[in-house]
Amino acid sequence: MPTHHKAELTNLGSKITNYSYEYNPKLLETFENAHPQNDYWVTLNADEFTSLCPITNQPDFGTLIINYIPHINMVESKSLKLYLFSFINNGEFHEEVVNKIGKDLVALMQPKYLEVIGLFYPRGNISIHPSFFYAKEEEKYQKIKEHRFMNHNLNPKREG
Amino acid sequence: MKLKKITIQKETKVTFSSPELLFLAQSGQPYRGVLHVQFESVGESFDLLDFKKYITSLRSKNFYAEDIAHEIFTTIEQNINTKNLGVVVDLTARGGIQQRLSFGFNFEPTFKNRFFQV
Repeated sequence: MPTHHKAELTNLGSKITNYSYEYNPKLLETFENAHPQNDYWVTLNADEFTSLCPITNQPDFGTLIINYIPHINMVESKSLKLYLFSFINNGEFHEEVVNKIGKDLVALMQPKYLEVIGLFYPRGNISIHPSFFYAKEEEKYQKIKEHRFMNHNLNPKREG
Repeated sequence: MKLKKITIQKETKVTFSSPELLFLAQSGQPYRGVLHVQFESVGESFDLLDFKKYITSLRSKNFYAEDIAHEIFTTIEQNINTKNLGVVVDLTARGGIQQRLSFGFNFEPTFKNRFFQV
């Protein structure tokens, strides 16, 4: 997936927005990180994620939290919005969809570090919160991944 | 859409809330919102599973945001007899603007942050 210069972004600022109702990772676009020498966090919160249960076709809803340390490419947020919406009719278990989104974003950006956390609404009184972790091979980022993985949910509490 | 009618006691105040309302704007853009329905029973209510299916069916339908409360109100009104039926929809903000749509009996919805959904 190519990196776009700002002028080449096709979704952001477009007067016509086409929504895809089928899963489409080609909607994702990037722009170039202006500060690749710096390590810094970017957090993207998507409160309106929805997909379908692959068995019953009933709708699922959740919040996706994407934290990443950019390298050269950064995901453009409108293209991310359209990409996430393209799951609307996609049948995916929560665990699958979080991993799929994580892998798509890694393939898109090749970030230094990336994690995706899915906070799905309860179904049958049970809410599912899967996480995806990725780090470049460099030791510094592997340590971040290991730390965040090892310390995940150390103080569990009831969440909606 | 048909909602199966059930018989309940009269004069019970019934309130439904769902944070999972989703429908499409005329442009195809998704709207998300929280739905509140309230009425006083005159001896009838509707089957909850049917209502869930109805709400789910809106995912693929296009409405002006301003018409969504009327749409839900009308569907309920066509299926059961009620007293003081009201519908309130709180949409999530678009372009920094939040909309609340109300139709029918005026009431102030309350929303529990943590309720179990089946």
